[in-house]
Amino acid sequence: MINRDALVVKICLGMVGLALIGPPSVFAQPVQPAAAAAAAQDPAAAERARLRDDLDRLEAQLRAIKERLQALEPASAPVAAAASAAAAPVEFESRTGPISGYMDFHFNKPEKNDGVLDFHRFVLLFNHSFTDRLRFVGELELEHSLVEGLEEAGELELEQAYVDFLINPKFNLRGGMLLMPVGLINERHEPPSFYGVERPFVDTVIIPSTWFDLGAGAHGDLGKGLSYRAYVTAPLDASQFTADEGIREGRQKGVQSNVRDVAVTGRLEHRGPPGLVLGASFWRGKTGFATPRIHSDVGLFEFDGRYTRGRFEARGEFAKVFIDGAGELNDAVMRTIGVSPNIASQLRGFYLEGGYRIAPSTWTHDLGVFARYENFDTQYRMPAGYVPLAEFDREAWVTGVNYYPDPDVAVKFDYVFLKNRSGVIRAPNSFNVGLGWWF
Amino acid sequence: MTSIRPFFAQLIAAVAVVACVIVFASASAQDAPPKAAQDQEAPRKVVHVTAERFAFSPSEIVVDEGTLLEIQLRSDDTNHGFRIKGTSTNVVIPKRGRGAMSVTFDATTPGRYAFECSKMCGAGHAMMKGSIVVKPRQAAAQAQKEGAR
Repeated sequence: MINRDALVVKICLGMVGLALIGPPSVFAQPVQPAAAAAAAQDPAAAERARLRDDLDRLEAQLRAIKERLQALEPASAPVAAAASAAAAPVEFESRTGPISGYMDFHFNKPEKNDGVLDFHRFVLLFNHSFTDRLRFVGELELEHSLVEGLEEAGELELEQAYVDFLINPKFNLRGGMLLMPVGLINERHEPPSFYGVERPFVDTVIIPSTWFDLGAGAHGDLGKGLSYRAYVTAPLDASQFTADEGIREGRQKGVQSNVRDVAVTGRLEHRGPPGLVLGASFWRGKTGFATPRIHSDVGLFEFDGRYTRGRFEARGEFAKVFIDGAGELNDAVMRTIGVSPNIASQLRGFYLEGGYRIAPSTWTHDLGVFARYENFDTQYRMPAGYVPLAEFDREAWVTGVNYYPDPDVAVKFDYVFLKNRSGVIRAPNSFNVGLGWWF
Repeated sequence: MTSIRPFFAQLIAAVAVVACVIVFASASAQDAPPKAAQDQEAPRKVVHVTAERFAFSPSEIVVDEGTLLEIQLRSDDTNHGFRIKGTSTNVVIPKRGRGAMSVTFDATTPGRYAFECSKMCGAGHAMMKGSIVVKPRQAAAQAQKEGAR
């Protein structure tokens, strides 16, 4: 009697344990035939056998569940985490993002000249969301590390400071200090995002990057990979144009910018097949406000493309600038300062670049090699009565390596083979080293 | 002494049976899928999105109402954020070569859900936007019919 009671207690405790560790469905399972046969002879042994069977079955179910979970995860890559989102509205909180920025410093060694070290850019970016539809973005740049009054040294520039009014994906408004949406580099110039220590020549002397000024406009995503930006901004100052750097010195940079006339600029960008981005930009404005009675208009058009497939990257850009009234402008400036600036009526430049990431996929670091051919001429066409100078018709081969100890840090080495068509003034080659980072 | 033992044994047995019933009932309630889900499992769609300065590609994802959308996010350069406005989804996409981030979106309600980069990624950070378009079931069926014709 006592033995039977003890057996009942054991069986009940076993059932509780099983219920706690396994799905309840096991209790509905029919007893196995072998266990049933044993039950007739020794009930305790039969119960132990049944419990063992149940445990085996539970283990099998657990393995099957594990396999199903693994099958749901993508096999190709580790997934850092999974998040789920239901379309449940949540209350928006006003928030300020952390300070971000990028920096780069260079060592430049032109042929037959002393090398120089230059902390070229120290840039801080700020952003703040007033609401979900009202945002501020700012970019403050210190160039060449030092700014002193009345001396030609560094520059402290407010490159961006605008407020976005987000209306819908296709149409949004923006006002403040804006980057001109022209070319590959002007809006996308963080050091790890391009090959080479210095920015391409075409993006410096044909498209005057970094090109910014005060204005307002619209931007949006039209769907099917098409996006646009269109702004009305302060124009360039034609009285500052030069022969060797084209329209670059004409940027007013938001310093009490004259807006007797305004400029319009825009960009259309298309992302179609994976890895391919195509863009086209323009800028047009009256630029003669500083030279009364001189009709001076500037027009610029540009188109570009980028393609990335696996380790291979390629990009190209073509830009052309038209300066109406360049002859009158040269005459007017010569009357003022005594020397003709020899401003061209057309400037033209283009480049092609190919790069390849050669580091094995097992490396945590990355290494890219590249070569770029550039052709640029700031006196491509001259106004009547002016002769182009051959020294401004230039071409360059830039080749080198970008080493990325982290995707946001780039150590760059390159060599620039620069030449012009002048038989008198030689363009120097140069060796360059750079360290740039984004945070 | 011997009369007390059967009592305890029966008491323990009764408690054990009640415990089993409770565990069974609660587990059954958890295991049983909702009736609707049993009748018709939500279709699943996986979309791979690449983030780079300063765009998502593709920037527009179209799904039918009732779809369980899984978005696999990868970066071609730095860390980017991925935030779907009006939802609690806000994740950081790992840097290039550091893996992917997966987000699921239950497209239960037709409409346009905007997403954006929520981590400062450079001068053009504010341009990084896109949207998920959830088409009504009727419109999706109509589109399928037209496609079949």
